[in-house]
Amino acid sequence: MRRLGSVALLVLACSGCATVGPVEDIQPGERPSLETDEAGLWMYMDRMETALATSGRVVTDPALNAYVRDIVCRLSPDYCRDIRIYIVRTPHFNATMAPNGFMQVWTGLMLRATNEAQLAYVIGHEIGHFQRRHSIQRWRDARNKTDFAAVFQVAAAAAGAGYAGSLASLAAIASILSFSRDQEREADDVGFTTMANAGYDPEQAPRIWEALLEERDASDKPEQVVFFATHPSTEERIGTLREQAQALIAKGAPRDAGAEKYKRIVGPFRDEWLRDEFRKREYAETEVVMNRLLAEERQNGDVLFMKGEFYRIRDESGDEDRAIEAYKAALLGDGAPPETHRSLGLVFWDAGRNDEARASFAEYLRAAPDASDRKMVEAYVKELETPQ
Amino acid sequence: MNIRLSPALRTLLPHRLLALGAVLALMLSACVTQGHLEPTGGTLRHEGQAVVLLMPPDVELSELTVGGLVEPNAEWTAQGLSNVNQALADRMRRRKAAMIPYDAPVGDAGRAHDHQQIMKLHRAVGVSIIQHKYFEPLVLPTKKDVFDWGLGPDVQMLREEYNAQYALFVYLRDSYSSPGRVAMMVAMTVFGYGMPGGAQTGFASLVDLGSGEVVWFNLLLRTTGDLRSPEPAREAIDALLAGFPL
Repeated sequence: MRRLGSVALLVLACSGCATVGPVEDIQPGERPSLETDEAGLWMYMDRMETALATSGRVVTDPALNAYVRDIVCRLSPDYCRDIRIYIVRTPHFNATMAPNGFMQVWTGLMLRATNEAQLAYVIGHEIGHFQRRHSIQRWRDARNKTDFAAVFQVAAAAAGAGYAGSLASLAAIASILSFSRDQEREADDVGFTTMANAGYDPEQAPRIWEALLEERDASDKPEQVVFFATHPSTEERIGTLREQAQALIAKGAPRDAGAEKYKRIVGPFRDEWLRDEFRKREYAETEVVMNRLLAEERQNGDVLFMKGEFYRIRDESGDEDRAIEAYKAALLGDGAPPETHRSLGLVFWDAGRNDEARASFAEYLRAAPDASDRKMVEAYVKELETPQ
Repeated sequence: MNIRLSPALRTLLPHRLLALGAVLALMLSACVTQGHLEPTGGTLRHEGQAVVLLMPPDVELSELTVGGLVEPNAEWTAQGLSNVNQALADRMRRRKAAMIPYDAPVGDAGRAHDHQQIMKLHRAVGVSIIQHKYFEPLVLPTKKDVFDWGLGPDVQMLREEYNAQYALFVYLRDSYSSPGRVAMMVAMTVFGYGMPGGAQTGFASLVDLGSGEVVWFNLLLRTTGDLRSPEPAREAIDALLAGFPL
C-alpha cells in the first residue's frame, strides 16, 4: 500500500515537474536558427506544406484566396508576409496554424461563418498560435513529459511495479492535453483583441462558438465534433467573449461585421460546400448549419433549394413532403436554380405522383434547355408517359 | 485549432509520409523479405551511356528522445542531405553513368506542380511496393511472382525537360538515440525489457522515363548507420543501391 502511495505521488509530480520556460513572441520575418529544435519542427512542416500545396483539396479560386489573405493582413500587418493561407476543402469546422507560417482554413469553417468578422476572429486566433510560438512550446512540453514518463517507467520496472509506468504515461498525456487547452485560451485572447483592434464587430466572436455549440447539442454523436477534443469548454469561451465584447461596445468600439462582402465572395461556394456536408451523413448537425444559413436569407431560392436537397438526400420518414415544401418555397423565392424543377420531379416520381413529376421535368427542360442531362431527363419523361 | 488535433486533419496531411516512417520502423522487427527487385525478365533499354535524373532526395534525420518521440533535426538533415548527394554523385561516377540533379523549374508554377505530383505519386507507389512485395503478410496473390509497378507515361515530361532516360528517387530516414535514450535502453535491458533505439530506413527506385516502369527498387532497413558523416553515408548509399543496374 505504501508503495502504491508513493507511486501515485510520483505520477502526480509528473505533471508538475517538467515545465516549459516562457518563450518570446516570434518576430516578423524571423526564422529559427538551424541548430534549434524549432528549426527541426519548421523543416518538418515545410515538407507538410509542400505536400498540401499540390493537393486537389486546396481551393485555388483567386478571388477567395485574395479575400482571406486581405483579412489576415488587415488583422496583422506585421505577420501578413509570414503567413501563407491554404483554403482546404473539408466539411468540418476548423482552421490550423503551423509554426512555419502555413495556415489552413477549412471550407467547413467558411460555410459556418455568416460574416467576415466571425471568420476574422478564428483567423486571429490562429495568428495568436503563430505569434506565441505555440507549436514549439507544445512540442517541448510533450517531450519533457514523455521523457519523465519514460524515466519513471524504468524506475517503476526497477521497483517491480510495471503498472505504475502506464499510469505515468496516462498522467503525461492528460497533462499535455491540459497544456494545449491553456494555449487555446491564450490564442482566444489574441484572436479577440486582434479582431476588435482591426475594427471588426466584437460581438461576432462569441457568435461563431454559439453556432458550434448549437451543432454539438443537435448531434447524435457529440464526440465526433472533432473540434472539442483539445479546446476549452465552449460555454466558458462564450461567456468570457460576451463580457469582453459588451465592454468594448459600451466604449463605442467599431461594429464592422462585413456580412455583405462575405456573402458576395463566399456565397458562390456555398452549395458545393453544403453538398460536402451532406456527404458526411451527419444530418442532425448539417440541419443546424442549413437552418442558420436560411435564417440569414429567408427568401433566397438557392438556399431553399438546398434545403429541399437536404431532405431529399436524407430520405427519412416525412422527408419527401419536407423536400417538396422546400422546393416549392424556393420557386417562390429569389434565384432558385432550374435544378429545383428536376429535384421536384424526382421526389414526385418517388412518391408515385407521376403527373406532377412529368410536369416538373418538363419545366426543368424549359428552364434549362441546354442542360447536359437533357437526354436523361427526356428519358424520364418518356418512361413516365409509358402506361405501366 | 492546432496542427495535431484531429483525425480529420490527418486525412488531409500527407499521412502516408507520417505512416511510412512508422511502417518502416515496425518492419524492422517483422517478417520482411530483403533484397532488390526488378521487373520480371526486364532489362534496361537504352543505347550508349545512360543519363539518370536524380530527383531531390527525401532525407530527414531525427533524434529519438528519452520518451520515444522522434524529433526532426534541421542541422543534421542539412548535413545528411549534403552527404547523400555527394555519395550518390560518387557512386554514379564510379559506374560511369551520367547523373544530373533535378533542378526545380523557376517561374513556372504549372511545371513545378506537375513535378511535385510525380514525386508524390512515386512515394505512394513506393509504399505499395514495400507493403505488398516485402512485407509477407500483405503480399498480393496477383503480384506474388511479378514485379510490374510503374508511375505511368506522364513521367515522359521529365525525360523531355531534362533529357534523361531514367529518374532515381531516394527516400531516407535516419534517427539516433539521444544520450538519455541510450541510458534508458541499457537500464531497461537490465530489467529484462526491450526498448527500440534509432534506425536507418529508406528506399530507392529507378524509373524508366519512357514507359514509367519501376525498373529497379530496393529497401533499406537497419538499426545501424549514420548519415551525418560522409563515410558512413557513402556506405549507406552503397547498401541502398545494392544490385543497382547502372
